[in-house]
Amino acid sequence: MQVTMVFTRPLPCAILASLFFLPLASAAVEFNRDVRPILADKCFICHGPDAANKKVPFRLDREEFAKAALAGGRHAIVPGKPAESELVNRITITNKGLRMPPAYSGLQLTDGETETLRAWVEQGAIWEKHWSFIPPRRPPVPAVKAQSAVRNSIDNFILSRLEQLSLSPAPEAPREILLRRVSFDLTGLPPTPADLDAFLKDTSPKAYEKAVDRLLASPHYGERMAARWLDAARYADTNGYQFDGERTMWRWRDWVIDAFNSNKPYDQFTVEQLAGDLLPHPTTSQLIATGFSRNHRINTEDGIVPEEYFAEQVVDRVETTSTVFMGLTLGCARCHNHKYDPLAQKEFYQFFAYFNNLPELGRGMKYGNTPPLLPAPTPDQQNKLDALNAQLEEQEKLLRRREKSAAPARWTPSVGLQYQLANSDLPHAPGKVGQAVVFDGKQIVTSSETGNFDIEDPFTIAGWVWSETTPDGSLVSRMVDSPKGKGYGLHLDHGHVYVNLTSVWADDAIRMRSEKELPAREWHHVAMVYDGSRTASGVSVFIDGAPLQMTVETNTLYRPFKNAGNAFKEPFRVGAGWGPDRRFHGMLDDMRIYERPLEPAEVATLALPTPASAGSPELHQLATRIEELKWERLKLIRSFPTVMVMQEQAKPRDAFLLLRGAYDKPGERVERGLPAVLGAMPAGLPNNRLGLAKWLVSGQHPLTARVMVNRLWQNVFGVGIVKTTEDFGAQGEWPSHPELLDWLATEFVRTGWDVKGLMRLMVTSAAYRQNSTATPDLLQRDPENRLLARGPRFRLSAEMIRDQALAVSGLLTETIGGPSVKPYQPAGLWKETAMQDMDYVQSHGPDLYRRGLYTFWKRTIAPPMMINFDAAGRETCVVRETRTNTPLQALDLMNDVTFVEAARRIGQRMLKEGGADPADRLRFGFRLVTARYPTDAEMQVLRRSLAYHADYFATNPEAAAKLLAQGEAPTDSTLEPKQLAAYASVGSLLLNLDEAVTKE
Amino acid sequence: MNPFEEHKLRLTRRHFFGSSATGLGLAALSSLLSEGAEAADAPKASTGALPGLPHFAPKAKRVIYLFQHGAPSQLDLFDYKPALHAQRGKDLPESVRQGQRLTGMTAFQASFPTAPSIFPFAQYGKSGQWFSDLLPHTSKIADDIAVIRTMQTEAINHDPAVTFFQTGFQLAGRPSIGSWVSYGLGSENKDLPAFVVMVSQGLGNSQALADRQWSSGFIPTRFQGVKFRSGNDPVLYLSNPEGYSPQARRHFLDDLAAMNELRGKTDPDPEISTRIAQYEMAYRMQTSVPELTDLSQEPPSTFDLYGPDSRIPGTYAANCILARRMAERGVRFIQLFHRGWDQHNNLPKEIRLQCRQTDQPSAALIQDLKQRGLLDDTLVVWGGEFGRTVYSQGTLTDDNYGRDHHPRCFSLWVAGGGMKPGITYGETDEFSYNIATNPVEVHDLHATMLHCLGVDHTRLTFKFQGRHYKLTDVRGNVVKELLA
Repeated sequence: MQVTMVFTRPLPCAILASLFFLPLASAAVEFNRDVRPILADKCFICHGPDAANKKVPFRLDREEFAKAALAGGRHAIVPGKPAESELVNRITITNKGLRMPPAYSGLQLTDGETETLRAWVEQGAIWEKHWSFIPPRRPPVPAVKAQSAVRNSIDNFILSRLEQLSLSPAPEAPREILLRRVSFDLTGLPPTPADLDAFLKDTSPKAYEKAVDRLLASPHYGERMAARWLDAARYADTNGYQFDGERTMWRWRDWVIDAFNSNKPYDQFTVEQLAGDLLPHPTTSQLIATGFSRNHRINTEDGIVPEEYFAEQVVDRVETTSTVFMGLTLGCARCHNHKYDPLAQKEFYQFFAYFNNLPELGRGMKYGNTPPLLPAPTPDQQNKLDALNAQLEEQEKLLRRREKSAAPARWTPSVGLQYQLANSDLPHAPGKVGQAVVFDGKQIVTSSETGNFDIEDPFTIAGWVWSETTPDGSLVSRMVDSPKGKGYGLHLDHGHVYVNLTSVWADDAIRMRSEKELPAREWHHVAMVYDGSRTASGVSVFIDGAPLQMTVETNTLYRPFKNAGNAFKEPFRVGAGWGPDRRFHGMLDDMRIYERPLEPAEVATLALPTPASAGSPELHQLATRIEELKWERLKLIRSFPTVMVMQEQAKPRDAFLLLRGAYDKPGERVERGLPAVLGAMPAGLPNNRLGLAKWLVSGQHPLTARVMVNRLWQNVFGVGIVKTTEDFGAQGEWPSHPELLDWLATEFVRTGWDVKGLMRLMVTSAAYRQNSTATPDLLQRDPENRLLARGPRFRLSAEMIRDQALAVSGLLTETIGGPSVKPYQPAGLWKETAMQDMDYVQSHGPDLYRRGLYTFWKRTIAPPMMINFDAAGRETCVVRETRTNTPLQALDLMNDVTFVEAARRIGQRMLKEGGADPADRLRFGFRLVTARYPTDAEMQVLRRSLAYHADYFATNPEAAAKLLAQGEAPTDSTLEPKQLAAYASVGSLLLNLDEAVTKE
Repeated sequence: MNPFEEHKLRLTRRHFFGSSATGLGLAALSSLLSEGAEAADAPKASTGALPGLPHFAPKAKRVIYLFQHGAPSQLDLFDYKPALHAQRGKDLPESVRQGQRLTGMTAFQASFPTAPSIFPFAQYGKSGQWFSDLLPHTSKIADDIAVIRTMQTEAINHDPAVTFFQTGFQLAGRPSIGSWVSYGLGSENKDLPAFVVMVSQGLGNSQALADRQWSSGFIPTRFQGVKFRSGNDPVLYLSNPEGYSPQARRHFLDDLAAMNELRGKTDPDPEISTRIAQYEMAYRMQTSVPELTDLSQEPPSTFDLYGPDSRIPGTYAANCILARRMAERGVRFIQLFHRGWDQHNNLPKEIRLQCRQTDQPSAALIQDLKQRGLLDDTLVVWGGEFGRTVYSQGTLTDDNYGRDHHPRCFSLWVAGGGMKPGITYGETDEFSYNIATNPVEVHDLHATMLHCLGVDHTRLTFKFQGRHYKLTDVRGNVVKELLA
């Protein structure tokens, strides 16, 4: 492809500059590069793929339509003959009523655009399929004149373009600047003075490459790479929407870090995240990976219609998947056919059908994770579990061996027994196994200590029941005392066993009822076991030790009884809790509450007509030990962090085209299918998410590799080769270096999707290693540095700015992974706008100084420093990096306690590590932050600043004390406060330098 | 926007306040601005407005939007329905409800008893507008405001409904209205943000309010709303650390500028000079914001006008005074959020408390703007995200009832800035359940507000993901009848 263009008339300056290269005479107009963007931007809105819906007969998005005869025999496009082409006529006609685009559209063609279209028709109106939908073919590496300036093939592409434009590359950046640049790009952290010294000392020709390999091997590499992936995957620590309760997805976040660190090939990385659950015998790690598709927001509001948000969740998955892996705005086809790209609305819903088959409701848990979820033990927890299992196995073996030589042992279970009904003030009478308590329908037994279970706590209720008439009323409960009350209860409903776990009447509940009826005047043993799973299948009911068939009335339990973290104040009641009309009338004997789910055999033991106690005391002891171990194991498993994962229902859920995208307007039923323009599913792949994932990474997909290499390019060079990293469609921007993009994409696939290899390739190119200083002329010609006639220079990302301050001040906690943390944040931010007085409880100690990607991300009230510095909001998928420059950033860097404290510790380091001479100390501090030594002129300013502050704090000792008291990190008490405060102020100056917040 | 324009915007309008870049070390930047042909259609240096904006002569220069968060009941405040008393306690007829979807909170309710307001209504002013006696002060400005009784929305839950009002779309991610306006029109004050938000706490049932309700979505973050809070730091991180005086900060900034200028000598990257300018603006904010939020120089008559709460920082009343002070200083879009209007249960008791907090200050703001000659070019909007149902949520008793969310019709008022005063617009049916005449969609309100600001809503666009986005999406008509 030739990357030049011609215009027969001079273009306005704006057009030239927008294309960032100068026109060369007599080159061809190219459809994909020059024409399609104009048609897409100015014409497709009416004459595009969705024209039918607008009742517009003429379409310009496909050649066969655009060149077909019009009514009346004329043609919109007559190749080579602009004068006969209606298209050219209509865009140049002076009659405003006929002129295209019409005035009401608000769109206008510039003179340059009009001329481009005319010239294209004149040159034969050659049509091409949109470039990004054609699989990349490996282009030849172009030859360049300045072969000596080439370090790898990237440079051939960059240089050949520069040579065409008669531009020369910049010289290599100073070595310390280069090390700082590459350290940020590969680890997100600045180099230490020791790193710098070692690098500067290494005079071997491969010194830089060695440094790159060291950085690629650093565990911080994975953190750096994960940060941008979390933006794309809309990772957060809360559910979003209105209530915005906490969730725990950090095991997935850590999976991403690990994956980058272990250099998991991008094809596996993709397949595991999109379809790890569908791989044969998936590992825990592969299941955790699928959290990618569950990071979307989840609505937990009371008033929603769940079906609506079920649709939103699936749509979010489709949009995220298409943006992240294909750079496509598939979401635009949700309500209608895509206006710009050949994507039909039906195809959107066919894609939707790959992602709608989870057992999910569209409404989430107010707190914690929403099923389907997976307990995801940390390695430490897994070790504990393995040890417990081994112990258990040993004890069980022992028991089996002992039992062979003795009669079978049977004891009433004692482990986890929390309560036994006894010694109440109510009358007693002989019961089934002991003394029964007599309930007269008025008096009841209460306890504030017992049965404080919430919806995720397992428990067991069991006891003997007798009534003069058909037994009725509440046996045991902890609920608001009314028929529609909140809480849990085991009731008898006119003889039928009735289990009730209600969070909010009517539908947020599990309720079930037995067909079988208990008769009057007989003792029967009734038991319910709940495993804390929030599902009806987690409830078992027994009569006389035998499982009982139950009819499920409702099966949705998602809000805890103690809503918003407030205590659930109702007492535990025996004989009551289902409203005053449903007091129990009769006798209860040996009523027990266990804070664990009993096994069926244990329930059967309780239902024996006489208390069980067979076997030797030794066996009893052993059996009890086993029960204890099992309970311990259960408690351990319940302490595991969970992660929301993907799970496929056996019978695929039907999918429908939703008219205008509305959940309640289903149209025709659709089957899973891939967008036709992107090619078909390769033979042998299943038509499910796994097939879809493998299709993406088949190596034949036109977009997957291009989109990823482009995003990595953006990470390093600041702007993608395709600037619109989120949109490779017709409305996306034409690549600055199309051949380079295709060469990188094919190289990526050729090397087995080697991400580290690609990063290495980019940062070892001569293009990357250039000095970033621009000349005024170059700045005018190429303000965004798309041509790379100089090295990248742009502001650091939000978390890098904070991480740098922590690193250079020596405060950084280098721990990798784990639960998110809550560093400093101005007081009251959450309370002002959050629900039900949720407040930010700040961390202390080392957790204050974790890297930014571990900062707790509340979606509705994101960390303010991150937002000030343009971090992605994590509400939905974001892949484009943006950078602004505002006074709020200045205020943040000067006054946020994070930076004030870091400045103090930089001051401390200058005093303790910088030598005895103030000039040496200043040089040391300056180098900590910028990696280089200051110039003489800079030293003068630094000295002046130090002198001013030394004087200021000498005359204001109390001011020094106040400044030094900022932040929780201790101050070295051997240092003189006024001196330390002066150095701290210089430390703050350093952190605020343009150079400090910029990657040069 | 094409890439060049976008880049030019970055160069020239990057300054957060849209003001001309003054301050230290700006030689490089100003030379860039004055060079070349593009300077002719560059954003106006005084305001940072987009080229070509405003599209026509504006009536309003600024907006004060009093967002009543949680959805006030139109039935108990504005939409007088005397005939309802005869229907009291009767089930809402299906012919009225027409299978309208209900929220999950009342969808399972066995009956839908009609609940007329227990608050008496009367007509006020020359215009004879109806208000309930919950609004004794708003009644006094009857002739200054236009009450729209026929607002309607598509959303039925708070978060999407507020998002819809704020961004023209129910799902998160698009720019908020204040961001659109400051993006289009820039700022008239170089020391204050163009878009300011203040949040106050109500006494009724409160719903969460997400920061993204004033986010700039996909347009650059410098257009996002800046939240002003009560207390020492009205803007986050505004105050110097304890022990660091303004004089020390001045020295600090001079040295910082000197350092950055030294770097700028070897590197012409305009980001460097912009950063110098931004630090100067930050410094000016450290003066201008406390001066703005310091009410100590206000005469007692101000506090008398706005009511006793106005002496307490952070209240709605105090925020109304601040809104007036911001209007005086040329802040483009001032938005107050007052929480606590979500009265599902115990509506009579809670709405009394809410009105006690909001009625007097809202009316005082109009009176105050008027007496200062600011009402003519300040557009004031008062309203929530939807309305409330005519049927009672929960049990209807003699003195108590609740109301669920109701998107199909609700009331909102506008004043000043080119809106017609003293009119009631639109009619609802006798149950205030459906609209009888003249519906006003959220997009229509937006289109009309932009019209008052001199902006054609179809021509204020931002290209993102290949699409030219608008605040009004693909809809919206200016409601001409509302215009003066």
